[in-house]
Amino acid sequence: MKESLLEILCCPLDKHDLELEDAEYDDDGEEIVAGTLVCRECGERYPIEDGIPNLLPPDMREETPA
Amino acid sequence: MAEEHPRADTSRRVAVRDTYDRIATHFAATREYAWPEVETFVETHANELEPAVDDSLTGLDLGCGNCRHAELLAGHCKRVVGLDVSRGLLETGRERAREHGFAVALCQGDAARLPLAANSVDIAVYVATLHHLPTQRARRDSLDELARVLAPDGRALVSAWSTAHDKFDETDGFDTTIEWTLPGGEPVDRFYHIYSPEEFDAALEASALEVLEWEVSSGNCYATVAGAADSSPRAE
Repeated sequence: MKESLLEILCCPLDKHDLELEDAEYDDDGEEIVAGTLVCRECGERYPIEDGIPNLLPPDMREETPA
Repeated sequence: MAEEHPRADTSRRVAVRDTYDRIATHFAATREYAWPEVETFVETHANELEPAVDDSLTGLDLGCGNCRHAELLAGHCKRVVGLDVSRGLLETGRERAREHGFAVALCQGDAARLPLAANSVDIAVYVATLHHLPTQRARRDSLDELARVLAPDGRALVSAWSTAHDKFDETDGFDTTIEWTLPGGEPVDRFYHIYSPEEFDAALEASALEVLEWEVSSGNCYATVAGAADSSPRAE
């Protein structure tokens, strides 16, 4: 994801802004390939997985038993 | 109908996510072309909006799957967000964007709890997705969420499968599962709520969305909608 996407992303739970932590960029420095998005209000943490932010609420992020 | 326990709701929605993760590659391969109803909507509304907002439109493909409709939006918008619950489908969208040469900002999320700011979207496509949310509560929340993220002049196209389709004899809306057959013949069940046209209309009217146009086409209900009339103005 591009860092500019943070302009419109928010926490799915309380709709507050997200802060980028531990960002790793691609070779061009344009795309964030890994990192964490943290809600400035509730502190919930959302991972960026191989360039795609996972903003599923925590109760839908869990794996279902096989 | 009594509201279901939120926990049961969540586990059923996780099941929908898992189903699409399983069938993603085969599903995407059978969803090559954009729907004509969506092409018409995007052309019409992007052209109405563009002069006013100086080529800075944000598009949203909600339930983007393989991004065939995000691709349409990319032709008119500065930024397009493709959001889906299924990571497997998002990967098929990434592949299509690479092969067809368009840009889409992919995001994994829940259609009933959108991770997008209020008034951030100018043109949205929400087709063939609402009917996969397994409870009335989740479907209502999702329509209200779409209203929240649409900008004051923003427009969205919402579609759902309906009893008007030849496949169904029922006249009232109902819950069902419909098999997806993987190559090799293995069936996978997918949840659907099939709307009656009247029920679809009523659901939209009961939401924070404003219904502008409405039609039944090819067994689907379609509505062109505007965002919440009372949403706060976009910060300048």
